[in-house]
Amino acid sequence: MKHPFRALALACALTLTPACAALHFTPPNPIAAAQTNDQRAYALIQSYGALIETAATVVRDPSVPIEVKRAIGRAEAAATPSVQTLQIAFSAYLRAHAAYVTASRADDSTLTRALNALNAASQSLGQSINRAQATVAELQSLMNTHGGASR
Amino acid sequence: MSNFLLQLQLLLSALSALLPLLPDALRTRAGEILNIAGKALSLGGVLSTGAEELAQKLAAIRAEIEAMAAARHTVTADELDAAMTRVAAASSAFREALQTAEAATP
Repeated sequence: MKHPFRALALACALTLTPACAALHFTPPNPIAAAQTNDQRAYALIQSYGALIETAATVVRDPSVPIEVKRAIGRAEAAATPSVQTLQIAFSAYLRAHAAYVTASRADDSTLTRALNALNAASQSLGQSINRAQATVAELQSLMNTHGGASR
Repeated sequence: MSNFLLQLQLLLSALSALLPLLPDALRTRAGEILNIAGKALSLGGVLSTGAEELAQKLAAIRAEIEAMAAARHTVTADELDAAMTRVAAASSAFREALQTAEAATP
């Protein structure tokens, strides 16, 4: 073998090609199918659950380098609290929505107050979705790069 | 993709069986190359399987959201609780798996 390092580089390139092709796929995007903030939040939470389940499978595999597992762990530690904050905003939105439905049978001033509260809760929910989406996207990007994909 | 990776792994195994036929000087280097290629393929296989598993789950969630959107359905508190239970269980299992991986690292 005249050029062992060239042979080694070629072997690596040949073997890594299918692995890279596997990682840069475009997964289905549940959030894009949602039409309201509550559906968007629900899609994000469910997608995050699926993402973490897959991350656990990847982390359990002994052939995955520990550095990759640690990087996924750091992203999960940042994303899970933001999803829990989203849950709080979501619960507040659901209570405001229920109050609005009840108030629709009441007088105008009660209805107006309930509508204002619902609008505020909806706005807060939208902000929480954006924040959670950013941290979840980081984890997903990491999984796409090193290991495994809700865009 | 998993099948393709499996075929490549089988090819590497077959090539490994031919190592004893090589001269001593080349055998070590060829063995190292096959070993590196085998590890890269093994990692690619894990990641490919993970990507396929995730794609299936996301497709199922997307179908559920499409049905919700078509029915103009407002998510209920029970549905939110179920989704968060899933997240909590998955997060707990993930952290446990990470701890196990850390403990197994020399």
